Amino acid sequence: MGSDTPVQVEGLTKNYGDFPAVKGIDFEVHAGEVFGLLGPNGAGKTTTVEILEGLRPRTGGRVSVLGLDPGLQSKQIKDRIGVCLQFTNLPDKMKVREALELFASFHTRTTGIDELLERLQLREKEKAFYSQLSGGQKQRLAFALALINDPQVLFLDEPTSGLDPQARLEIHELIEKLRSQQRTILLTTHYIEEAEKLCDRVAIIDGGKIIAIGTPREIQAKTLGQSLVEIRCDSPIPEIELPQWNSSEKSQISEDRKSLTVVSTHPARTLVEIVKWIDQQNIDLADVHLKRPSLEDVFIELTGRKLRE
Amino acid sequence: MKAYLSLIRIDLKLAFRNRSVIFFNYLFPLMFFFIFAQMMGAVVPISYVVGMVLVLGILGNGLFGAGMRAVNEREANILRRYKVAPITATPLLVSSMVTGWVAFMPSAILILSIAHFRYKMTFPAHMLSLLGLISLGVITFRSMGLIIAAVVNSMQEGNILIQLLYMPMLFLSGATFPVERLPRWGQIVSHFLPASHLVTGFRGIFQEDQSLFENWPSVLALTTTLTICTFVATQLFRWEKEEKIRTSAKLWVLGALAPFVILGCYQIFAAP
Repeated sequence: MGSDTPVQVEGLTKNYGDFPAVKGIDFEVHAGEVFGLLGPNGAGKTTTVEILEGLRPRTGGRVSVLGLDPGLQSKQIKDRIGVCLQFTNLPDKMKVREALELFASFHTRTTGIDELLERLQLREKEKAFYSQLSGGQKQRLAFALALINDPQVLFLDEPTSGLDPQARLEIHELIEKLRSQQRTILLTTHYIEEAEKLCDRVAIIDGGKIIAIGTPREIQAKTLGQSLVEIRCDSPIPEIELPQWNSSEKSQISEDRKSLTVVSTHPARTLVEIVKWIDQQNIDLADVHLKRPSLEDVFIELTGRKLRE
Repeated sequence: MKAYLSLIRIDLKLAFRNRSVIFFNYLFPLMFFFIFAQMMGAVVPISYVVGMVLVLGILGNGLFGAGMRAVNEREANILRRYKVAPITATPLLVSSMVTGWVAFMPSAILILSIAHFRYKMTFPAHMLSLLGLISLGVITFRSMGLIIAAVVNSMQEGNILIQLLYMPMLFLSGATFPVERLPRWGQIVSHFLPASHLVTGFRGIFQEDQSLFENWPSVLALTTTLTICTFVATQLFRWEKEEKIRTSAKLWVLGALAPFVILGCYQIFAAP
């Protein structure tokens, strides 16, 4: 298991009694990439991540984190990874700096506390009690604690769950900064936009199985492979038969005949032809939209359900 | 070692920032001391009242202080944060015991001083033995509190179980009423209560000027309890509220109770 793939999972299974929570999944996380496990609540994301962090025993399969087995060498793994858990807290009367000093004392390697406070914009709050922090500040502190040992791999379990939009944006910026530092990050999320925005590669997980894996673009291309071209015109489109544009599959005109929607496998080619045709009809264009299928569309196609149903 | 020291340091800071710690370790025992001293001072020696208040404080510090705090930290997902750090449960348990001891000792010394200067109690001949017994009592009952924290699933359950242990130990161990005045069944029950060994130890030191060595049965009982309870607490420790109690845990709890059962039976059969 090389250092270029710090996380390797082969045929991982986990049963809770008779209930199979993870049903034989395989994936790898390459060094320096942000890998996302995307799926609805109860899909098996947190269980998978907690097995990798050495917090839960697995039922079967092979797992390696930084070349170590989390089932046997959890203490060594915990010393070298950073973890930002879902639903954790600190004592109300613990101060920000005290928390960082405490958790630094548990690790063999640590990074500077002052530097972390600056990087995570917690300098002004270093003497504040945990109970006095906002949701976003608490999550930034959780990130600081996860980074206290300058980890080689970072596990972020639903890092923005329950946060308001502003705090969520702050955390996204933070993850993007970590990504630019070439940190290896495995994050779980049930927010499509988060996976699309932050992850280099994504595994869509449902019912304990991986149903699609690749870059967000690859997954979108492999499944639907279709985009929507939406044209808005200033005046109604004449009531004539629409031509068969290059690579187009289905065309639809709105009731007011001012909007045209075309499903295309090669949207750029289709768009050029539509624009030419509109011009030939002497109609002015008001707006043009090219809409790629989202991971949500992919999830619906693969499972027949919405991600957050 | 660094983890132990850091945890002890932060636990102490947190303890002294917590009003309930101050109330239950200082104001509560002091209130009881003054009330009982006024009520009973003319009937029993003041050292009897001091022993009573010390037992009350030690039981509260151990069962409520260690037990309820650990349950609360598990319920609030605080222990879950520690779980991802490269530490075991042992430093957390040790720091809880040390914190309880540091929080309680000034209170004990304050009560002894008030008893001496205000109520003219003569200090026992073996003062170090007294401080040693108080220390042993505090960490022993904190280890028991930590077992309770490990076996209950919620604050509510914890409260009930602690009350079920606290009340009999308060009233049947001899801490509040002399065992000799209890009905026969109460006297039998008192032999099985861990707090009875603490009460016997305090009596020996206060009223018979015994040292810890002369008080060896109590010391042995408390030390055995401390060793077994600490070991069992590390085995049963639960980091998360979702973690189920293992079936083997029930056997560990029985194991922790064994010394009291054996000692109780021994005392009943060895009694003249």
